[in-house]
Amino acid sequence: MDAQQVIICRCEEVSLEELLSTAREYQCTARELKLRTRAGMGCCGGRTCRILIEQIVEQATGQVPTHTVSLGYQPPVRPISFQTLGGKSS
Amino acid sequence: MNDVLVIGAGPAGLSAAIAAARQGLSVKIVDEFYRPGGRLLGQLHEEPDGVWWNGLAEAARLDQEARALGVNISCGVSVYDIARCDDRWRISTTEGEWESSLLLIATGASEAAVPVPGWTLPGVMSIGAAQVMTNVQRVRVGKKGVVIGVNILSVAIARELQLAGVHVEQLILPPLSEVSGKAGRPHEIMRSLLRVAHLAPSPVIRLGSKLMGSAWMQRLAVAFFPSKGVRMWDMPIHLRTAALEIVGTSQVEGVRTARVTPEGLPIPGTEQLIPADFVCIAGGLSPLAELAAIAGCPFAYVPALGGHVPLHDEYMKTPLPGLYVAGNITGIESARVAMSQGTVAGLSMAQASGLLADDSLLSQAQLQVKRVRQNATIQFHPDIAAGRELVGQMAAAWTAR
Amino acid sequence: MSQRIFHHPVLGSMEERTALQFQFNGAVYTAYEGETIAGALLAAGVRTLRVHEETGAPRGIYCNIGHCYECRVHVDGIPTVRACMTLVTEGMCVTAGSVLPTPLKKGGHAK
Repeated sequence: MDAQQVIICRCEEVSLEELLSTAREYQCTARELKLRTRAGMGCCGGRTCRILIEQIVEQATGQVPTHTVSLGYQPPVRPISFQTLGGKSS
Repeated sequence: MNDVLVIGAGPAGLSAAIAAARQGLSVKIVDEFYRPGGRLLGQLHEEPDGVWWNGLAEAARLDQEARALGVNISCGVSVYDIARCDDRWRISTTEGEWESSLLLIATGASEAAVPVPGWTLPGVMSIGAAQVMTNVQRVRVGKKGVVIGVNILSVAIARELQLAGVHVEQLILPPLSEVSGKAGRPHEIMRSLLRVAHLAPSPVIRLGSKLMGSAWMQRLAVAFFPSKGVRMWDMPIHLRTAALEIVGTSQVEGVRTARVTPEGLPIPGTEQLIPADFVCIAGGLSPLAELAAIAGCPFAYVPALGGHVPLHDEYMKTPLPGLYVAGNITGIESARVAMSQGTVAGLSMAQASGLLADDSLLSQAQLQVKRVRQNATIQFHPDIAAGRELVGQMAAAWTAR
Repeated sequence: MSQRIFHHPVLGSMEERTALQFQFNGAVYTAYEGETIAGALLAAGVRTLRVHEETGAPRGIYCNIGHCYECRVHVDGIPTVRACMTLVTEGMCVTAGSVLPTPLKKGGHAK
């Protein structure tokens, strides 16, 4: 297997190659990279790959991490059913 | 309604609950695992004085103590949102909503991933997953495995696997890539391992580590690192071998490796296939701060603490009213540090409620955190103290503005 | 062959535990009280807990503490249940997810 084909986002099966080439082409932020590739938007909410996405952006664009969290968090931070959201215990 | 809600029943959350409940506060803890203990569950290592640190026993002790003080512990409950409502915090969970004026987030850490081609195959798991499966679930993760990632945590857990009768064939480096960071560079690994070499069971390694203070000695050691690896507890640790790929069709069948240069680049013609039925990936830990972010807490980026941590002061209070943090969410350190931080958070919350009878308890607890940190057998990072100072300054600046 | 660790040199021996029967994809397995779905299945040699919903690639446990959701299964008809966090109960019916259709995957936004 080509090392660049390694999967970064396990939930959405987004490869290192796709993320690197997208980040290089658009010179974008981690948030934009996420929106363009769906990396970090799967079932786990990006808990497994968010640091990797930030590393890729740093490598491809030179943007270094700041005190502000680059990939924001939105509730719900767990995948939950509409029933639970509506107030019914699961 | 409880005075205090605690998210996370690990060493920090349980210790905080105990400290707060002792001062007369009513405390409720929620945790999404099926039993309390958090990262304590599964920890098992021999301290330099020969005494075993058994995290399961520590967790049971804290759980009993908390329950005896009337703390309500709800396990199997996931928190998915936090919001400020009037003068209180409201947490939304899979079992309903709860409110309190004081909220402690003690969600600990998550494991940093190190992608290796083939790492989605069944049989590949994080090193922490193997620890819980082995020591908590008491199920072997396989017969023969390879650990990818050489660090304090991976060496300690590989030893735990071996204790349980699981054969660890080799500990090797991940492939050097845009996302491997320092973990793929033999020089960097050597430097970090030397900080824990005093724990090594072999007097040769312990003695060797004393001679390794200078940078040129470290370079020499990496250059001449034995091709068979250095054996610790009879497990070969390789700093000059890296995984190229995990192979298998429906599950792990082996790991393709190569010798690497001191910079981590594979050397052509040195490829090997190591048969294995499981693989552990060890990338270290980083603070799990998603709930603090949703609550609106400001952050600091401090690599020495493991990444982004919520701003907090020496009372474990964040700049947000009534919001506290403790444990690995504030930086990666040992369970003992997390417990001492939890005690500070619990007493701080008691003070905020006007229920702390004796203020000296709190200052003593703060001193205890520093003492435990200084005496820690394992220093996860050499610059922890400086990192903590930075977070404290930023928190003060935030509160002052 | 069972991979359970009944005797441990430091943690000691396991106490007698109640055996429970449960189903995974229609086959019957035995678990012991206190075992998660992931633990009981691994003890029975089952590593694949689901397939990726689009590619069909097999997946098993990864983090084992509820962070990664790789081990999600259906339990008694409820989807997205983490096998690593859920204790087996008597008669529990567990099924792996399957490949789902993605008719809109490239809808209107194909490069």
